[in-house]
Amino acid sequence: MNQQMGLKKFITLWFFLLVILPPARISLAQVGERKPKADDPAEHTFPALGASAEQKVPVAWNRYYDHAGLGAILARLNEAFPDLTKLYSIGKSSQGRDIWCLEVTARDVGDPNRKPAMYIDGNIHGDEIQAGEVVAYTGWYLCHQYGCLEKVTALLDDRVFYLVPTINPDGRDFWIHGGQFARSGLQPTDNDRDGLMDEDDCEDLNGDGFITMMRKKDPQGRFKLHPDYPKYLMVRAKPDEPGQYVLLGWEGIDNDGDGRINEDGPGGYDLNRNWAYDWQPNYIQYGAKDYPFSQPETRAVAEFVLAHPNIAASQSYHNSGGMILRSPGREGGPMTDQDENVLKTIAERGEKILPFYRSMITWKDLYTVWGGEDDWFYAGRGVLSFTNELWTPKNLYKTADRPSDENEAEFVQYVLLGDGAIAWQEYDHPTYGKIEIGGEKKQWGRIPPSFLLEEELHRNMAFALYHADMMPLLRISSIEVEKLADSLFKIWVAVENQRLIPTRTAQDVAHHISPPDVVSIMGDEFEVLSAGRVIDRFFKKVQAVKRRPHRVELDTIAGMSAAHVQLVVKGKGGFTVTVDSAKGGVLTKNATLP
Amino acid sequence: MQLKIEMAVYLLLVAVSTANALDYYRNKSLGRRLASIAKQDPNLIHVKSIAQSPGKRKVWLVEVGQGAEADRKTRPAMLLVAGIEGNDLIGSSVTVSWIEHLFDQYESDNASTKLLQTTTIYVIPRLNPDAAERFFAQPKFEMSLNSNPVDNDHDGLVDEDGPEDLNRDGLITWMRVEDREGDYILDPADDRLLVKADALKGEIGRWRYLTEGIDNDHDEQWNEDGPGGVNFNRNFPYNYEFFAPDAGLHQVSEAETRALAEFVIEHPNIGIVVTYGAADNLLKTPEAAPSAPAPSGDGRSRGRKPTPAIDQNDLPYYRVMGGKYREAMGLKKEMEGVSQPGTFSDWMYFHRGRLSLAACPWSPAIAVELSQASQTEEKSEEGDSSGGGKPEHSKNLSDKSKTDQEKHNEQQRKELKWFDEHAPEAFVRWQPIEHPDFPGQRVEVGWYRPFSHTNPPAAMVEDIAAKHVDFLTKVAQQLPRIGIRKVEAKHLGENVYEVKIQVENTGFLPTSLAQGQTTREVYPTRIVMELDNERFLSGSRIMNLPTIQGSCGMAEVRYVIYAPNRAGIHFKVVSMLAGQAEGTIELVKDTASREPK
Repeated sequence: MNQQMGLKKFITLWFFLLVILPPARISLAQVGERKPKADDPAEHTFPALGASAEQKVPVAWNRYYDHAGLGAILARLNEAFPDLTKLYSIGKSSQGRDIWCLEVTARDVGDPNRKPAMYIDGNIHGDEIQAGEVVAYTGWYLCHQYGCLEKVTALLDDRVFYLVPTINPDGRDFWIHGGQFARSGLQPTDNDRDGLMDEDDCEDLNGDGFITMMRKKDPQGRFKLHPDYPKYLMVRAKPDEPGQYVLLGWEGIDNDGDGRINEDGPGGYDLNRNWAYDWQPNYIQYGAKDYPFSQPETRAVAEFVLAHPNIAASQSYHNSGGMILRSPGREGGPMTDQDENVLKTIAERGEKILPFYRSMITWKDLYTVWGGEDDWFYAGRGVLSFTNELWTPKNLYKTADRPSDENEAEFVQYVLLGDGAIAWQEYDHPTYGKIEIGGEKKQWGRIPPSFLLEEELHRNMAFALYHADMMPLLRISSIEVEKLADSLFKIWVAVENQRLIPTRTAQDVAHHISPPDVVSIMGDEFEVLSAGRVIDRFFKKVQAVKRRPHRVELDTIAGMSAAHVQLVVKGKGGFTVTVDSAKGGVLTKNATLP
Repeated sequence: MQLKIEMAVYLLLVAVSTANALDYYRNKSLGRRLASIAKQDPNLIHVKSIAQSPGKRKVWLVEVGQGAEADRKTRPAMLLVAGIEGNDLIGSSVTVSWIEHLFDQYESDNASTKLLQTTTIYVIPRLNPDAAERFFAQPKFEMSLNSNPVDNDHDGLVDEDGPEDLNRDGLITWMRVEDREGDYILDPADDRLLVKADALKGEIGRWRYLTEGIDNDHDEQWNEDGPGGVNFNRNFPYNYEFFAPDAGLHQVSEAETRALAEFVIEHPNIGIVVTYGAADNLLKTPEAAPSAPAPSGDGRSRGRKPTPAIDQNDLPYYRVMGGKYREAMGLKKEMEGVSQPGTFSDWMYFHRGRLSLAACPWSPAIAVELSQASQTEEKSEEGDSSGGGKPEHSKNLSDKSKTDQEKHNEQQRKELKWFDEHAPEAFVRWQPIEHPDFPGQRVEVGWYRPFSHTNPPAAMVEDIAAKHVDFLTKVAQQLPRIGIRKVEAKHLGENVYEVKIQVENTGFLPTSLAQGQTTREVYPTRIVMELDNERFLSGSRIMNLPTIQGSCGMAEVRYVIYAPNRAGIHFKVVSMLAGQAEGTIELVKDTASREPK
């Protein structure tokens, strides 16, 4: 018995040693050397909701692009979607950069030049760069989701979008490539009235690629390091407490020897004060320049808008603050109740799409703006218009209250792992002597961090698409014919507007900005004896037109309502009813007299 | 027979007056005329085109001044603009006369030579060549718009309803239609005139009063959307009227107005602007703005509002200029001024802070006033006190009870009387015609010839031009002008000096008007020293001066400098409107003041 047990153990041991162990040892040896295939990950994706499943033009939306970069995105979209896009320049900036426009619509559905249009632009202030990405993202999304999402398909079939990502490409590039103050356009301007232009800009004295702040250790200074966040924050010393530092402003030297530093950098005006409606000169409105549309950028947009009378909605993107702004820019500026109700309804939807964004009236809730873009669109051209101020720090912690300076420092430290802070370095300054230079990267504060950027782009786009969806959508809903006698008929045409925005706003009607909507009728074998607008369709009150009865002019077709037109005709046969509305489009319908 | 002689005389007069229309320049003739003047002295007179109108006509700019362009741009300058509405060809003629006068006087008169060596004169004889050309068109048609097609009546159609020459006399005048829908009656004093029916007097309207033409677009308005255009004198940003039919789609929308705006921006040395057109602030001194209210407490809105009227501190200069103007014209008293929204002259004052004078070069009202003035002079010379006294007195009493309409009617009669005496051909007798829009109704075509209210009869052009030339020359002499009165350097010891510089303004106007300060468009006068900033123990290399009043107002700057190894320091005084001056501070170790070189 013991011998048998010993033999079993012997065989088991050798079986293990000879049969089991070697292959196992071989596999153990290969584990360290195995790797997955380095394919393109894009070929192995599962879509999240939001972005399209297929991405013909892949774009990383967690970073920013300069003017050439945005242009490249638009060019690739245009190449990949020739049936949905047209790409052209609407003019050039002061320094000769093209202002690109991507026109997005289903080109084979309807007449692209006559569909109700939405104009969207961004980045009129050169440092408000994420505006460019929002507009480019809008084009990217619409192109990719056409044919995939019913709503997008309907939008591009029925409407046309004019997307202009940056209308201040000079300012954008200047800011991205090293400048600090780039709100303005870059036409040389004498800010300090000394006869020289742009002679004293900031400098990157310590060559770290950023223009930051200068401070000097000074016992008489009233600032000191924050006790908990000495690397990131400074605080004011208490009134009876000594300080440590005096703050000297932005990095730079006195280039023109006039006793001031950085007082006359490139540019020195505000393109968003250069628009024609309620324009006021510089001493009343800083930055307005010498007369409206004096600058090539604003003039290019104005000329484009004047040449596209089908524009029925407008959206501009700025930063920052988390706002959905509407006209008027100054107290007492034009705004009618009817138009404001429509704007408020759309803005309220926006507040839900964009958490922490508030619907505001510019002059009342923000500050007075003379000669702003919104006012020209609305008061000057009768087009409902919004300006969104992108990004609010409430997004950092998703709180209804703004985070404190300490909260923000924590964010930099623990979520960004210090990215955004620039350590203070010593420097020997020609005027101030021994100073320190440092502070924040310019990406901190008004533009989102990478992982919050794409959310900002998508939500703002969604708001604009809602506004676009609310543009007039006209249908000839019925043509009723009543026979009055042999060869004498009364025809009632109903034209409905299935969306919120009227074909002509109250401002438009009051000032005859666009031509009236025209309902006309044509038949080979008949003659129109009289025509009129139906004022009350139940009591059959009709206001007859005085002349040219074959065409009835309507002031407007209000939102979510229908206009009725009565035509009294004599004759026979078939006829065509045409509705021609500058912002509602052109539609026709055929019918026959009984 | 009688009728035929009358007709013959009438046609002769028409022919004569048409021939004399050559005294007014066609655009091409204007160009040639300017070129030929410039050719006579290209160092003094420079001509170039600054814009092209929609009708493809050039807008000329003439610069009069000696020396290189860079120097001319630093001198005090005056800008004269005429033909801004385009229908006042007399304005363009006046500018040409003035340029010729300046040129003539340049060599012969010392004062003029000095003026053109130290001043730059910019002249735009005609900003609106499209409108002016209609004076020579067939039919002759007066309007103050350029040829840019504009939908004036906002009906979606462009230029669809212009005038027609229904009576084929080569003129677009007016028509009167006997129609119960009309608001007018024939003036009982003279049935050539129409006056508005006054319901309070029981007057019943019987006539419609329309421009000559048919209602092409059947909207029951006549000729409301003719060819063109934009009125340049409504196209500027101050007090701009958005949506007005002739103001353009927005401010400074036309090639011509944009060229003028850019010119003015690029030539900040312009201190005085004179504009000939329909607006006028010289016949009567304008009102001052009420004293500015305290800025509102709301920091956000900044409290700054557009200036409604001339600043009180600037008004005296307008008053003086107005006085000079009326004197040059021979007017004994003030008349009514004219202002319009969006004028160029208003923009130059209210937004750019320059002294901006506007004059209507001639009008029937001025003509009537001048002839009345000379009549009262004659009467008083004849010693006819009883005849001259009473009617004046009773007229003054009834003036107060007259309505604006009655005053207007009276003025209309006076003007017709003046034309009857001085230029009878100006009124086209009413002629009956058949009118397709008014079948079976009595329709007559007539009224004053086009351009007859904005341009004097040809025989008077020379005399009127001479008066304006006289005034313009006086205006050019009112520019501010800085000079250096005194330079002193006192040695305090060890190469430390106390320096004192006095700058004076020998011109009439201050170095900046109050509005120039308010708008911040007129930069402060500054002194720039050729010495490094470190050498200043008190003061600095670049110092701004306060405004210096004219008629030898003075501003003084003091420095304390440390200047070893320097014998003299050069400095420059730069003023935007008052020119430039240079000097040298002599550093001598003994204390003595030096007069400027």
